[in-house]
Amino acid sequence: MTSVSPINTTGSRQRQARFARLQKWVSRAFARDLSCLIVPGQDVAVAHGLNVSATGMRVSASPRDANVLLIVGVLSEKMGEVATVLYAQMPRPRTIVVLGGTTPSSLPGADVSAGLSQEALADAVGRLKRALAEGAFAVSPMDFDASVLHARIEYVCPMHPEVVEDEPGSCPKCGMDLVAREAGEQTPEGGHDHEHHHDHDHSNEHSNERQQEHAHENAATEYTCPMHPEIVRDEPGSCPKCGMDLVVREDGEDEGHAEHEHSSHDHGEHDHSGHEHGGHDHGGHDHGASGFMSMIEVTKDLPRSADGLQMDWLEVPFGPVFPGLAGGLKLTLTLDGDGVTEGQATSLVGLTSEGENFEASDEMDAETFIGYLSAAIPLAPVSYRLLVCLAIEQAAGLEGDSANAGARTGALERERIASHLGWLAQLGRQLGFAWLTQRAATLQLQVREANRDSLAALEPALRTLGTRLERTPLLKSRLKGIGLLPTESSDLRGPVARAADEGGDAWARLRQRLAEISASLGLIKSGGEPALPVLRDVGDVSGTGEATVDTPRGEARLSLKLERGHVKSYKLDTACSQHIGLVPKLVEGQELGDALLAVGSLDLSPWEVTS
Amino acid sequence: MTVAIVLLALLGSAWLLAVVEGWMATGRLSPAAPLFRGLAHLGRESIVPRSPDRVFFEAAPVLLLVVAVLGMAVLPLAPDLIIADLGTGALFVNAALAYVLVAVIMAGWGPDGAYAMIGGWRFLGQLIAYSMLIVMPITAVAMRAESLVNTAIVGSQAGLWNIVYQPLGFVLFYIAAMALAFRAPFDLPSAEGELGGGVDAEYTGVRLAVLRLARLTLVVTLASATTVFYLGGWHGPLLPPSAWSLIKTLAVAVSMLLVGHYLPRIREANLMRWCWVLGIPLALLNIIIVGLLILVVP
Repeated sequence: MTSVSPINTTGSRQRQARFARLQKWVSRAFARDLSCLIVPGQDVAVAHGLNVSATGMRVSASPRDANVLLIVGVLSEKMGEVATVLYAQMPRPRTIVVLGGTTPSSLPGADVSAGLSQEALADAVGRLKRALAEGAFAVSPMDFDASVLHARIEYVCPMHPEVVEDEPGSCPKCGMDLVAREAGEQTPEGGHDHEHHHDHDHSNEHSNERQQEHAHENAATEYTCPMHPEIVRDEPGSCPKCGMDLVVREDGEDEGHAEHEHSSHDHGEHDHSGHEHGGHDHGGHDHGASGFMSMIEVTKDLPRSADGLQMDWLEVPFGPVFPGLAGGLKLTLTLDGDGVTEGQATSLVGLTSEGENFEASDEMDAETFIGYLSAAIPLAPVSYRLLVCLAIEQAAGLEGDSANAGARTGALERERIASHLGWLAQLGRQLGFAWLTQRAATLQLQVREANRDSLAALEPALRTLGTRLERTPLLKSRLKGIGLLPTESSDLRGPVARAADEGGDAWARLRQRLAEISASLGLIKSGGEPALPVLRDVGDVSGTGEATVDTPRGEARLSLKLERGHVKSYKLDTACSQHIGLVPKLVEGQELGDALLAVGSLDLSPWEVTS
Repeated sequence: MTVAIVLLALLGSAWLLAVVEGWMATGRLSPAAPLFRGLAHLGRESIVPRSPDRVFFEAAPVLLLVVAVLGMAVLPLAPDLIIADLGTGALFVNAALAYVLVAVIMAGWGPDGAYAMIGGWRFLGQLIAYSMLIVMPITAVAMRAESLVNTAIVGSQAGLWNIVYQPLGFVLFYIAAMALAFRAPFDLPSAEGELGGGVDAEYTGVRLAVLRLARLTLVVTLASATTVFYLGGWHGPLLPPSAWSLIKTLAVAVSMLLVGHYLPRIREANLMRWCWVLGIPLALLNIIIVGLLILVVP
């Protein structure tokens, strides 16, 4: 799509038209105030060489403050669903820009699609501005709807979040009635979608039904004290024992049970459409349940956390589109207050075909395979290109390539510098350290395709960045002691492993990566001009090959079987696949900010996680 | 008239801060950007989350704005340019700003979202850290002026500004003011990298416009308080008094934004520890020093 497609093609993304004259001005303002949410993430955009803020667009941290959904590259099916949910959360008028990929099927067509380059992006933004200025309002906007937005209802025990059933019933552990919640709340959508990722138009319908349903149930009411269940009155008032306001209890109900369920549908005190509060994450924090039930009662059966407090547990998704984490990485944390009781990380963009046997029909010749693997890993394409080249060359029985060794090392080390700068920018985003994010991302864009001379010219800037970081107040105290890994961990690789001897915390990892930037600069200086690794001619050979490359995130091993010049099967073993397994241990018992920082310090690339 | 001038100054300062904010984020100075952004917010959909506490959700941004304006109402721009020169002005600033906590917790609780809620509770922890460091330096300021009247406090600095007379108090107050305004590096409740925006995360459209304005106004109010308490308020050569007040206020406000730009977010536990273990003893020391100075120097 190269022409301007006015954004009213589907009518699903505009604001309703009301005041004609004002609209003209407001539409112009929309065109001047572009704020984008990048899917899968800003790290991916920079790795592709995009400088989004140079186009005048702000980069938003949440879908609520975004009006452009910027899709970078080809999205996996799961990420497509995530993008759909995020789109539904964006306020209208909203637009979609797709760079170098296709629009996920669940989204309406892109307003602007363009190639994956800075010029294409700048051009796309220009077209988008025109589209917004012209079509931000529709006379009768339609609802946006997609199947991923319809949630499945599941039933969960308020006390035991691990008990989840498909049908209503009672909890096998404590016998309490299970409470309805939407299955989507804690599963794939993630990101910013917690409770209300569904189009609000739909949710309102739900709530009306629910309220009616409960209106007749509440016919006979009694009043009881939240602290003293033995106090039961027919009228509102205060408790004779403790003076607290009595709260509504349904007639004939016995306390231990359905309280939870009904606390969720508050009885008239609040007229907000508060359905299913208590049912989901918040449990005891119910809005509607003001005073209905004491905290002590809600939490009495819950295990105590490290600080001795008993709190309601929330399972909260962080990612896969989250400013503080790599795009595509989803971290699910069970929070107890702001402490993490358990957590795990999953990748929504990882490689799916480790060790898979390609069918004869798959035309996976050597070049195609190189393209496939390096495109699948946008954060370190050169390393994986080199890895495949080495493995295929070994399978073909070729000797070490001394002619190109310097160029290959140069390209690998250049990518290492760029990748570590990308990590620094990501650290800056997580820590709200704007200067670091800007500086590191700028340098990363410069290093990405620099030649030997321009890298030498960048050396002072890179060194200054390092020394400045070591001296930045608050940074050391923020990182020291965070993300400590047990010293006997054997599955560590790359910078994480090398930092293990220096203290093994986030601070040691920062210093290790800074040291590696310097070391790589030295290697490039003494090596050849960096050049993208190119596969030597191997012909129609058969055989097996194995290679190891020290990628920016640690060693990756690839073994593959070649049959008449075609890749028959391969097995890939990456550092991130190992490191992602460390997450549960790292986050357990940590404060939320520390847990996120610990995960961030590993520099997990979800693209390199194999399943 | 006074009310109009003060409100206009407040609005103008908030606009200027928004321009500076945009400049720090994009590297461009675009004076019109905040206006377009505001207008665009008004035109955008203002989404109400699925199951909000409607009262809290709607009231929080407005309350934050009201609190910031109320704080400003007792701070003088010039000897006669003050909305209400209360007898307990210095205390009133503190009392009004206490409601920032209420507004933030309401904004956290209101939308019924996990990120916002954690943000709201984080601010409660933050209050425990910073609140003593707001009150105790003000005490020392009032000791020197022998008055809680804000115009008298400025008057007491005619010869020597408090930033020189009690530099320790200034540093503590400045840090605490930044924590109160929950700006970086104290933006724990609204951390983007940790909570996807936290208490700000669920606001859209008009409500977001009010919330943003309120947050900027809060910075201006705190900068104005810093000016009145430590930087000699309207005192200065050549220029008219109100111009000096504005220049100092804006300089302090911009410095607060800049500091945040160059620092990583502080750890919650560290903030608490440093404020109590280091900050409060220093604040007490400041009071003692000021007391001795008052006794010794006539």
